[in-house]
Amino acid sequence: MTKRQDKRIKIIGWLLFFLAIGFFCLQMGYLFIHQRFQVEYIDDRIFYMINIICVLCLSLGILFLLTLTKKWKLAVASIVILFIIMNGVLLVIGNSKIKNVTSISPDFKHVLAIKQNTKTGEAVYYRNYYGILALPKETLPYKTDGEFKVEWLANDVAVVTYKATDKTIHQFIGTYGDRGGGLSYYYVGAEIQGAWKSEDIELISSPDGISVTQNGQTETFDWDQIVQFGTLAIVLTENNQAKWTISLNEDFTIDSSSATSPSGGISVYRATMDENKPFVLTYDGAN
Amino acid sequence: MKKIILIIASVIMFGSIISIIIYLQYPKGSSLQTNFEEQQDKSPEAEKLQPIYDDDHTVGYSLQNKELNITFDKGKTWQYVPIEIDKLFAGEYNGNKQELIKNSYILSENRVAFLYMEKTNEYENKVVLTYSHDQGKTWKDAIVTDRYPMIRFRKVAFLTEEFGYVIISGDRVVAQEASNVYITFDGGENWKETNQSGVTRLISDGGFIDEQTGFLSYGTINPDEPELYVTQDGGNIWTQAFINVPENYHEIFVTAEIPFKEEAHLVLLVNQGPNGDYKGGKVKGKFISKDNGKTWEFSKEIEVDDQEAG
Repeated sequence: MTKRQDKRIKIIGWLLFFLAIGFFCLQMGYLFIHQRFQVEYIDDRIFYMINIICVLCLSLGILFLLTLTKKWKLAVASIVILFIIMNGVLLVIGNSKIKNVTSISPDFKHVLAIKQNTKTGEAVYYRNYYGILALPKETLPYKTDGEFKVEWLANDVAVVTYKATDKTIHQFIGTYGDRGGGLSYYYVGAEIQGAWKSEDIELISSPDGISVTQNGQTETFDWDQIVQFGTLAIVLTENNQAKWTISLNEDFTIDSSSATSPSGGISVYRATMDENKPFVLTYDGAN
Repeated sequence: MKKIILIIASVIMFGSIISIIIYLQYPKGSSLQTNFEEQQDKSPEAEKLQPIYDDDHTVGYSLQNKELNITFDKGKTWQYVPIEIDKLFAGEYNGNKQELIKNSYILSENRVAFLYMEKTNEYENKVVLTYSHDQGKTWKDAIVTDRYPMIRFRKVAFLTEEFGYVIISGDRVVAQEASNVYITFDGGENWKETNQSGVTRLISDGGFIDEQTGFLSYGTINPDEPELYVTQDGGNIWTQAFINVPENYHEIFVTAEIPFKEEAHLVLLVNQGPNGDYKGGKVKGKFISKDNGKTWEFSKEIEVDDQEAG
């Protein structure tokens, strides 16, 4: 090995070694803030994954930095493998007790996280902070059977469709942030007043409520059956079950103070556990 | 050097194993609520109640043993309040649950009232005021509103036997939310919503000084100037008050408090917000209005005591 190669290996060794120290400090910091502020990793599995990465960096760092005898190399390898197996097993066991559902937004800026206690069926929606940390925001009102479907209707709107233990279907919407410029849409139903259309589906929002027509069948929802989430989306409900979610797309704009028509589109997404895609509708004039 | 590397590596390995043991002890996937309940479970059953008092020391309350009790005689006898404790803290509230949320209740000899949120179905909540006029012997529930999103700010107050107001906000998304004002003219039995101010910034406080004149103050996250709305007709029309902050106090006095009457005019204190450090954060700006709250002129700096500051 040339002197130059040797130097390069040493630099990599130090880098890995310091990375390992960094990961270790991160874990210690995490334990502290978890204890103090109930902050959790957005996915419980992250804890074990960081442990594994930390030990891999540490062992490789040592191998690059120190000249070890065969016996020592074997010892280090055994410890590392044992440690990785232990973390892997704990990760799987942990996830069977608390099911983690995480989904990253299309622009990688937000993470939707739900943790479900598989024994009680209780699921808690988490809001993420600083990327990988999260705080519990609210408990989903129905106990679930563990099946969740997440669809991002926009970069800042995620719809979670889930089945309750009584087989009813519900939708929960995570909305993330405002859309900048101080622009806000408070009453989504009122903002989308008028007729909206795509090839497959029509929607009319009127002072009496919202009607959705698909394949010639019209479902009508009074305002009493319409529930808003955040400032960007509403859920249309019937018999206490979700039927449709409507959200404002990122290109949606309306000037509340003038009578001009809205521009941009809205997304309409049916509440079903089957695989389905949202429909994108455009404004088709006042109804 | 070899020795140091090996010592550090051992510390990391050993520390990691300990951290796994600690991590396994933590309850995971649980809400703050569950953690809170677990903490409560550790306390001995039916412990002796210790009254918590507001400033006036007349009526005390206790949240011990997972129930709300009130006392009018310094803890000798207690009246049970028929509200589940969780409901009193429901909504967006991350503060201490050992004491009631400030302004969400009234405790006086003649009136005891608690404002809280109750889930009606998956998507909706109602806001309820449970009150008693006979020191807790009988209770009544008044629905302030039966459709409301997740509540954040909450305040209830009565100015007379009959007239009172509730100010709530909810559905917060970062720095935007809805805020609503409800008033009663029959001692809290029936509530009517006033018109809205149309502002979607986060509300910091609100209140009425008589049946016609009310105020809403906005801006809790890094405000840079006070934003105060005033009504002079019982909530029909809300207009933004003009607060003439002298140039040298710009971005110093940033959050308006609720005005009060003083002699023939109204007084408004404007504080430095959560991050103010002008003169140690211990002074507020005093402003005077001679037109019942529409325009405010700076009068002087006033000192606040340490408890109030910060």
